[in-house]
Amino acid sequence: MTAALDGLVVLDTTTRFWASLGVALLGDFGADVVKIEAPDSSVTNNGWDHHNEIANRNKRSLALDIAQLEGRGAFEKLVAKADVFVTDAPEPEVEAQKVDYTSLSALTPDLIYAVGSGFGPEGPDRDLPALDELAAARTGMMPVLPQPGQAPVYTEAGQIYAGVQLAFGIMAALRHRAATGAGQRVDASLLGGNMYGASLDLQAFLAMGGERFLKPVSRLDAGNPMSGVLYRASDGRWVTLTMPDTDRYWPDLAAITGLDADDERFNSHEKRCEENRLELLRTLEEAFGREPSDHWRREMDARQMSADIIEEYSYPAADLSVVKNRYIIDVEDNGTRRRSLGFPIYMSESPAALTRRAPVLGTHSDEVLRDLGGLDSDAIARLREAGAVA
Amino acid sequence: MTAALDGIRVIDLTVWFQGPVAAQHLADFGADVIKVERPQGGDLARGVRSIKAVPVGDWNQYFLVINRNKRSMAVDLKQKGGREIMHKLVAESDVFLSNLSAENLAGWQLSYDELRNVNPRLVYAMTTGYGPHGENTKPSFDMTVQALTGLMARQGEPGQPPIYLGMGSGDAIGGLMAALGILIALRHRDATGEGQYVDASLYGAQLFLGAPSLQAYLAGDESLAKQRSRKDAANPLWNIYEVSDRWLTLCLENTDENWGALAGTLGNDALAHDARYATAKARSENNRELIDALDAALAARTADEWVDIWEPLGIPASPVCNLQDLADDAQAWENDYFVKAYCEEVQREVDVRGLPITLSNTPGSVRTLGPELGQHTEEILTETLGYTWEQVVEFKEQGAIL
Repeated sequence: MTAALDGLVVLDTTTRFWASLGVALLGDFGADVVKIEAPDSSVTNNGWDHHNEIANRNKRSLALDIAQLEGRGAFEKLVAKADVFVTDAPEPEVEAQKVDYTSLSALTPDLIYAVGSGFGPEGPDRDLPALDELAAARTGMMPVLPQPGQAPVYTEAGQIYAGVQLAFGIMAALRHRAATGAGQRVDASLLGGNMYGASLDLQAFLAMGGERFLKPVSRLDAGNPMSGVLYRASDGRWVTLTMPDTDRYWPDLAAITGLDADDERFNSHEKRCEENRLELLRTLEEAFGREPSDHWRREMDARQMSADIIEEYSYPAADLSVVKNRYIIDVEDNGTRRRSLGFPIYMSESPAALTRRAPVLGTHSDEVLRDLGGLDSDAIARLREAGAVA
Repeated sequence: MTAALDGIRVIDLTVWFQGPVAAQHLADFGADVIKVERPQGGDLARGVRSIKAVPVGDWNQYFLVINRNKRSMAVDLKQKGGREIMHKLVAESDVFLSNLSAENLAGWQLSYDELRNVNPRLVYAMTTGYGPHGENTKPSFDMTVQALTGLMARQGEPGQPPIYLGMGSGDAIGGLMAALGILIALRHRDATGEGQYVDASLYGAQLFLGAPSLQAYLAGDESLAKQRSRKDAANPLWNIYEVSDRWLTLCLENTDENWGALAGTLGNDALAHDARYATAKARSENNRELIDALDAALAARTADEWVDIWEPLGIPASPVCNLQDLADDAQAWENDYFVKAYCEEVQREVDVRGLPITLSNTPGSVRTLGPELGQHTEEILTETLGYTWEQVVEFKEQGAIL
């Protein structure tokens, strides 16, 4: 069984969690990802550094100073062999280091040059710092998420969309290169990622407008009392329902909440979602408040209803299906069993695998320079003496 | 200029959002995506009438934007003729994508085992709720699965109800993961000639969405499973503050230099020289007091005023915008994160969410909005699959197509 991305060489100079995580998705499927860091990089990776362990797993580490003349020479040999180069540094910095697209594509014309940016390749704010908090603040969802009167909410999720988009953009560009031989520049940004995560709200606002999309909507003013709602059970935990097609689920919901399915106030979709929407919200809030969450889960599961209880991280951490699907995996760390996020994409014939933990800085310097760069041991020794390699 | 995914044909047998948006990623970059729908009403998302109790108006953006750049074929898979058409289409396609139940697909002779016999090079992709392994067979929607991940329980201020990350937030990551998985599997197919089964579930993708905090939780930091007040931020310089007109996000590492720069703008000498905040450790230990003090000091100006004062000092900050601000944001438009598209349904140009992934030579595009139900059935049958018009008429008479 070969890995899906066997033979793909990716030079990864990213330093931010989200961008490194996006590149790691390619390493999970067998790409040869070489993480290039400065020899004096502060990243030491002693022991279990949990964020580093997912963001840099399945990568080889090369400690190389590309600002030095000798180091630059070795770097250019690697670029000549690379399919993909990835950076998340701001454009002015990239130009100063001569690792901009123009410089590198002169060395490798068919290079896929990928950038994880804060705000995209164009526009007045293209050089703002790539901080997810800033991008989330610009996206317009933070004030909408909480209950009315509450502080805005920063979810941390926008950066993850952006990281996966970076990987997708690289794969799309590789597909084009396979067909035509042409390389190009790819950009995925935190602003683009945050906006994508907010797709439905922002598209609804663009098309429909109005105050209701600018401010929080109280949970007891939800648009559909049976969909996208939260009700408090008697033990203080929360029940959520997603039943956009209320006709299909109303008889079951009425049965478990002790309501009459033929109740004149609620016996059509229009009555439930329009005329008597607020009344149904209040009625269901009262009904769910009468029993604890375990009761509701039993009732809803028995009827295979589209509903669940709000859980904390302890739930997936203890869920066997999460282990079976390898969404969370065990990693051996010097005799200690560590738990880590695993692989969100399942493939039957070329599955993702953990072949290598996040490397200690410079672990693979020699082998990368030798196998990929074609340098002999004398040349590597000279680089070490010059302080260009560690 | 060619498109990046030129020449890739995708059968999109999906409904609602997670599956359709996976195919939309491929369609935006030029794949030939054929949306297969049941003749009776098609994708249920065609029937969306309101969002957040606001009527959708004269065009159903929910359906039309997610299904842009696709062709629609209306086929009755309960009919023998419909199944024959599907198998012929599978033989001519690179990808089969569905988010319908495995039982339904098997009943229509569209299981993985069946289709790999029809086309061994096929990438058969599913966007399920809970993944290929395990016993959970409940219906799965974005929010009910997000509920299980633990993502919602940790958002917001302590004591407040849990918070959903936004309409479609889980479907969006599930669909994006599926699109990525499909491209990776296609590369494997091109190298080996072998298709395979791919799945990106709502559950797995949403757990990954929680990576920043869930990975830390799995390493032992249990506090990250719980709601945490902004009043308890360990670094008061990296927090949100309510200023005179709205909220503001401030992003400063907790260094003495940064504190000096920030404090110098507050017009409050006592605060700037307060010994309780003199060192990073002190600011972190006295975080509640400092957050209170900053709440009071920052309330003096508007968010834009603060950003203008701080920008020359290199202090990163942003007003907490709303969707109107975003709709007016030049940064979003200049990067084509928003674009204009012609809507046949209302015969005018409309604003749509655009192309968050930028490819310099083969950019994505919004060529058409979602198709009418069955708009391309005849064209696909005759041009793509090579059926004669007599056969098309026969399929119609059988009720196999619309």
